[in-house]
Parts: sequence; structure tokens; C-alpha cells
Amino acid sequence: MLSKQELIDFEADIAREFEAGNIRAPVHLHGGNEEALIEIFKEIKSMDYVFSTHRSHYHALLHGVPADKVKAEIMAGHSISLQFPEYHFFTSAIVAGICPIALGVAMTGQKCWVFVGDMAAQTGIFHECAKYAFQHSLPIYFITEDNGLSVDTPTEKVWGDTDYWQEEFDEWLGKYSYLYDRTYPHQGAGKWVTF
Amino acid sequence: MTYFDELTRAMTWLGEQPDTVFIGQQVRYPGNSLFKTLEGVPMEKRIEFPVAENMQLGASIGMAMQGKTVISIFPRMDFLLCAADMLVNHLDKNLYPLTGKVIIRTCIGATKPMHPGVQHCGDYTEGLRSLFDNVVVEKLRLNSPINAIYQSSYYSWVPVAKVIIEEADLYGMESRTRL
Repeated sequence: MLSKQELIDFEADIAREFEAGNIRAPVHLHGGNEEALIEIFKEIKSMDYVFSTHRSHYHALLHGVPADKVKAEIMAGHSISLQFPEYHFFTSAIVAGICPIALGVAMTGQKCWVFVGDMAAQTGIFHECAKYAFQHSLPIYFITEDNGLSVDTPTEKVWGDTDYWQEEFDEWLGKYSYLYDRTYPHQGAGKWVTF
Repeated sequence: MTYFDELTRAMTWLGEQPDTVFIGQQVRYPGNSLFKTLEGVPMEKRIEFPVAENMQLGASIGMAMQGKTVISIFPRMDFLLCAADMLVNHLDKNLYPLTGKVIIRTCIGATKPMHPGVQHCGDYTEGLRSLFDNVVVEKLRLNSPINAIYQSSYYSWVPVAKVIIEEADLYGMESRTRL
């Protein structure tokens, strides 16, 4: 596994290439999270599936994709959508877009690790996937990489500061909700249905 | 044999193939006409999924990456639009190598004898076609060889993903296919 310094050096090299105009596409560089990721990737086996985002250089490197292969793809303009199927490594450049795809892989019994940003972790699709995976005991972990920002937007601020959060939220949401048993079927009156 | 019978025959054939899985709403529990076309599909091949269309299609892609041929069922075309992100930004872009297939089955809601309202009978066939570069859209007519279309979708590697659209207004009509 690459060391912290090797990761930093890799991104510094990409930064130089980008600044020199040698990469004619967006790049999203990692930085500041090397130690946290190295610890997480100690748990991730080479046969496991890793799913990531537009910012995925470190994830690919730590999952065993050779640095020259990662760099070649970045130089070719694919930084935001790196795919290395032979290393079980996939990304999506759409916010939280990789989550349901990873869920499907996990549904076949493969162990999956999904990295998302803090805004992605607030989306509906993320919560649907995490809830389904948890309730069905699927072999998948979701890792939120929280730098507090979505592009440059403060994630918590735009969602509303949530110090009160879960208990009060549940109480508010449930205040006028109710349970009941239905009298009629979903559609029609029960004799015949055309749906 | 009616259009509905042809659909049932196609689903039964797909259900007999070893790598198929059927996912969607009302695939294990009754509630719509599509459900009845699955009567020949073993229950263990059916995954009743929450109403979460984008998640469903993403999960279908993921399973197809692992070699499954996924028949992903959206009971109405109106509902399929909720999966637009997975359809257009993911499935159609061929970013994820599929060793199986994604066969999307959807339906234009019946307008007779009752009109279900503007949100339940949309026909977005041409709209979908205009969005895709790779996914193929096919509408099943009365003279369409329905079983053959599903079989070729199963066997063909180009494309690996297809949207097959049926029309509920045709269910009771005599099929004109000779295949």
C-alpha cells in the first residue's frame, strides 16, 4: 500500500501537470485525508469492490491500481470518472450516483465499499441505498468523506443547522401521521381491477 | 394468443434461463396486470423492490455487472422517468462493463375503459430515444414478435441494455405475430 507521502507526491505531480496545461479536463485532487484513508484501506481486500466519486485518485491508488495506470487515465482526461474493472474499482461523477450501482453488486454477495462526499450523504438516493443495504444485511459499507463543503457550499448550512436533529425531527414528522387498515384494494372496489 | 399471452410466454421463457432475475414493484405481490404475466416465473427469481426507481435501476446495473440478466420492471412509463439519472447518466454511458444484461420492461398505461389520468398513461418512447446513445428502445406492437424480441434481448450483446415498452390497451387483443 502506498504511504502518506507517496499519495501526496502523486497528487502534487497531477497538480503540476494540470497547471502546465497538460490535462485538458477537470481534475479533483485529494489531500488532507491520507491517514484516514490508509486506515480504512487496511480493511479493504483486493477482491472487494470499491466505488467512488469524481474525486477518487487516492481510492484507486490505495485499492492497488498502479500509479502509472491511474496517471495515464487522468492524463487522458478521465479524472472525474475513473474506471478500473480489473481492480474492481468504479466511480460516478454524478452526486451519489454510484450508490445504487454498488448496492446491486452487493446484492449478488460481493463485498463493497462506497465513498461519498458529505452532500451526497444527504441525498435521497444515498439514504434509500443505505437503508436498503442495512435492512437486508448486505455486505456493503458506506463511507462519508466529510469536509463540510459541496463544491464551495457549506453542506450543513444549506440543509439548515441541525443541532436538534433526530429525536425532534422524528417527533415533528410523526405529529400528524397515523396508522390504519385499508377497506378497499389499492385501486377500484374489489370486484375487478384494470391497472 | 393475445398480446398478454405473448408477454406471459416471454416472461416464462426468461424465467427458465439460469441467470435471470426479475426486480420491481408487484413482481411478488399482486396489484397490476404485469404481475399476472409473471405467473410462470419462479418466486425465488423475483425481487419485490421498494418504490425507488432510480435505486432500482442502479441496482439492476450493479447486478448485471455481476453477470445477471436483470429484467427490471417499471409498471408504468411515467414511473420510469424517476430513474432518469441511472438511465441516461449511467446505463446509457457504458461506463460500467456488464457481463449480464439490463432489460427494462415498462408499460404505457391503459386508457380504456377508464382513463387513469395524465400521470399514469404517458408515452415517452420518442423522448427516451432522443436521450440515448447506446440503450435501445423498442415498443411492442400487436404484430411484434414479443417472445422473439425478449429472447434476442437475452442473447444479444449489442446492446447490453434495452427498454422494452408495452401498451396496456393492447393486452386483451389478439396478437398478430406468427413467431
